[in-house]
Amino acid sequence: MSDALISSLSAALGAEHCVAGDGDLSFRGTRPDAVVSPGTTEETADVLRLAAAAGAVVVPWGGGTRQRMGGPLSPAGRPVLALRTTRLNRVLDYTPEDMTISVGAGATMAKFAAAIVPNGQMFPVDVALPGRSTVGGALATAADGPRRLGYGTFRDLFLGVTVVEAGGSIAKAGGMTVKNVSGYDMMKLHLGGLGSLGVIVSANFKLLPTPRAAATIACHFDALPGILAMLDALHASKLVPAACELISAEGGEGFGLCLLTDGLPQAVERHKRDVPKIATQTGARDSQILEGEEHAALWARINDLPQAADLAPDELVFRAACLPSEMVATVGNVLAVAKANGATVTFSARALNGVGYFRLRGEPATLGRAWKSLAETMPAASLVSLGAGSPEAAPSPWGRMPGGLDVMRRLKREFDPANVLNPGRFLV
Amino acid sequence: MNASALVSELRALVGERGVVVDPDALMTYNADGCVMDTHAPDVVVLPTTTEQIVAVVKLAAKHGIPLLARGAGTGLSGGATPVRGGIVLVTSRMEKVLEIDRRNNRARVQPGIINFELTAILKAQGYHFAADPSSQKACTVGGNIANNSGGPHCIKYGITGSHVLGVQMVLADGSIFWTNDGTPELPGYDLTGITVGSEGTFCVMTECWIKILPLPEATRVVMALFTDILPAAETVSQVIAGGFLPAALEVMDGGALKAVNDAYKMGIPPEADAALIIEVDGVEDGLDDLLAEIIAIAKEKGAIEVRPAKTPEEQVKVWAARKNAFGAMGRLAPTYHLVDTVVPRTKLPAIMRDVKRIAKETGLSIVNVFHAGDGNLHPIVLFDRTNADQSERAHRAVEEVMRLSLEYGGVISGEHGIGIEKQEFMSQLFTEADLAAMAAVHRALDPDDLFNPGKMFPRKFEANDLASERRRVAEAGAGLPALMAKHGDKLWV
Ligand SMILES: Cc1cc2nc3c(=O)[nH]c(=O)nc-3n(C[C@H](O)[C@H](O)[C@H](O)COP(=O)(O)OP(=O)(O)OC[C@H]3O[C@@H](n4cnc5c(N)ncnc54)[C@H](O)[C@@H]3O)c2cc1C
Repeated sequence: MSDALISSLSAALGAEHCVAGDGDLSFRGTRPDAVVSPGTTEETADVLRLAAAAGAVVVPWGGGTRQRMGGPLSPAGRPVLALRTTRLNRVLDYTPEDMTISVGAGATMAKFAAAIVPNGQMFPVDVALPGRSTVGGALATAADGPRRLGYGTFRDLFLGVTVVEAGGSIAKAGGMTVKNVSGYDMMKLHLGGLGSLGVIVSANFKLLPTPRAAATIACHFDALPGILAMLDALHASKLVPAACELISAEGGEGFGLCLLTDGLPQAVERHKRDVPKIATQTGARDSQILEGEEHAALWARINDLPQAADLAPDELVFRAACLPSEMVATVGNVLAVAKANGATVTFSARALNGVGYFRLRGEPATLGRAWKSLAETMPAASLVSLGAGSPEAAPSPWGRMPGGLDVMRRLKREFDPANVLNPGRFLV
Repeated sequence: MNASALVSELRALVGERGVVVDPDALMTYNADGCVMDTHAPDVVVLPTTTEQIVAVVKLAAKHGIPLLARGAGTGLSGGATPVRGGIVLVTSRMEKVLEIDRRNNRARVQPGIINFELTAILKAQGYHFAADPSSQKACTVGGNIANNSGGPHCIKYGITGSHVLGVQMVLADGSIFWTNDGTPELPGYDLTGITVGSEGTFCVMTECWIKILPLPEATRVVMALFTDILPAAETVSQVIAGGFLPAALEVMDGGALKAVNDAYKMGIPPEADAALIIEVDGVEDGLDDLLAEIIAIAKEKGAIEVRPAKTPEEQVKVWAARKNAFGAMGRLAPTYHLVDTVVPRTKLPAIMRDVKRIAKETGLSIVNVFHAGDGNLHPIVLFDRTNADQSERAHRAVEEVMRLSLEYGGVISGEHGIGIEKQEFMSQLFTEADLAAMAAVHRALDPDDLFNPGKMFPRKFEANDLASERRRVAEAGAGLPALMAKHGDKLWV
């Protein structure tokens, strides 16, 4: 990396925020030539401008918990800058009674929550590892949480954004109101865009009131067919659980179907009464009501299951999506393929939404085979993370390709003509 | 291409009955509900199949003729006004529900289906499409999606965009594809999301997968009457801040109440000068207690009467009154301008006070019917457009409401879109760099500016010129020619 670039970055950010050859960070093998930590939107723009002029590529870096997602970085011989958002971590605008907030992209999800919880408010997207995951990283990877069943995802709550684009242009969209159709909904492109169109520096969200009561009904099933029957019955009922998560039973045989009910105390009581009945009718071995700390601990564990930061060397994590009605079959398919390849599976699936996160462990070679066969057969699947010993040369991390790839390519080239942002990692 | 050759080609594609050329008939399509500007199209086509739409798009592209997709034309921002003439493609003959998949909470529909008809079909199956603009008796689902429309129930269920799972879209090169079918988050950019709210400026939607929801087990509707609009607005602010999650919070002021009172024989007492409609829904359990708490807030703020609508019939009546209030404005004045804007919700009482002042200062009546729970106000300025002085005062009133809304941290449109009405306001909310990013999206999708040209971006910009300039600067800043010389295609893997 050229000394000139380092010295101009140091001049812009202060030497302590521009570290050459930092050994800590790596993206599946590639180490950045320098790690820069801008403290403001303008400094972030300086970094992108200087990077563009010097022909360097930029990898936005939040908490680093999902840096193994996507394809391998392919800088084509260009110097690599890791842009840490850690210092962009302030709450920028928050009037609690408006129930909207603007936060810096580098704030952790835990810090974000800490700002609003004292006001009886919540943000219902339960991202894994909230103490380390940042707002920007969660957005760029379109992280979701179990409560999407009741409250939706970032997609429904992401009101406004400020990004710095390749070349250093600062662009904002949306605003701080809960409804807004002023121009294109640019938030949608940056959400899940893996930082390929711009570096998210701050984001605005809609907040919700903390429910007055909450509880879990954990149902234990021996086999998948009973679960399918229970899901059908729940779907046909007028119950409105906030989450319905199908999980591999801990240590033992069988499966758990965990329902989270929240809202008015009477409504929670109603779910506590009705859900166990449905479970019994559909063949559950037992069901248990969890409240208070037990309830919280269970969901903290479920929320963290998709985590992609700390993996065993022989581990691979992927996300599979399908129509909700296909979720149980998808789980069955993953279990069968894993078994055929001698791999073990732990998983957590948003059973009424059609999204599951699966952790496979086994021999690298067989893991690679299992992933390939799953990626080719499932409606939608993507690798979230690979352990150090996992097959780096895994086939495409994206599974089956969606429609509109040409348009996506044109978008990427329009926004980032020199492929400066996260080259190679996104699917276009 | 000369006009008669175009018409005969179109007739060959969609049949004799699917082409309108009669000048009087074309006038019907010269604007939507916003009559700031009118311009008749050269020809109107009414296709019946997706294949026909693709063929019409290809024909338009080949000859560089502007093409505008139109639903019912109920838009209020000029989105469906063909400012540059050309072809208007009306979706009214593509109005089928193609598939209802209850287990996956989704339905596949053609874009021309009327929102209300879809709602009736779904209701028979115990479902609903949560996007329910007040114009639902006339507007199409395609128009709802293109405008990312709102409605009374956004406060709980979100805007249209939260209920669109995927769209089938035709681009100017005639390519057609589905963005999604209801599978959560496919890899790649969210093309569904960017198409929602794009006001027909870069594609024609030919089919859509929409999200449908089971009807709630129980619903309660209550109308609280106040002697003034301010306590109604304050009630709304307090209910929001108090952590309730109602399904709707809608306000009508005295002017609106008067307009609907006769039509619906609601027996509103003369001293009532504002009404707040409150709806809560969910499982039966606890709903009455929740409603009681909200009513207590309304009373504490000075509600003079609280009227529960217990039966479904009574509820339908209250909602009909609310949803038709706006239609009743026609009886109050020859012309009206509805200003759609949103403020942070705590600013609602303040801006309502300003609206009152503006009415007084301009000497015009301003009526309010709006989605209070979202901070989305709709002051309706009544005037006579044949009277130059009144028109000028109306214009001033609109500008002043918009200025204040932005000052309060609001935005320029909550649900009606930009179209032509709000084009010039875009520069007040966005910098040139913000607009250039939007223009980049436009250029990636519609590089020749075929679809609905002349909209959304301030008139001084052609969207694609703005994008080209943006790209030129970006390429120069990145030294692209030198990079290409050094790395060649390796820049892109
Ligand atoms: C009395 C009244 C009440 C209203 N209440 C509300 C309300 O509560 N909430 C609200 O949000 N709006 C409301 N509106 C505004 C309007 O009804 C909505 O914007 C509606 O969604 C427009 O639907 P439409 O079918 O009439 O679309 P049109 O007016 O025909 O078109 C609107 C836009 O959509 C584009 N479009 C239409 N079909 C397609 C397609 N197939 N492909 C691509 N682009 C397409 C058009 O080009 C245009 O830009 C109201 C209007 C009236 C007159």
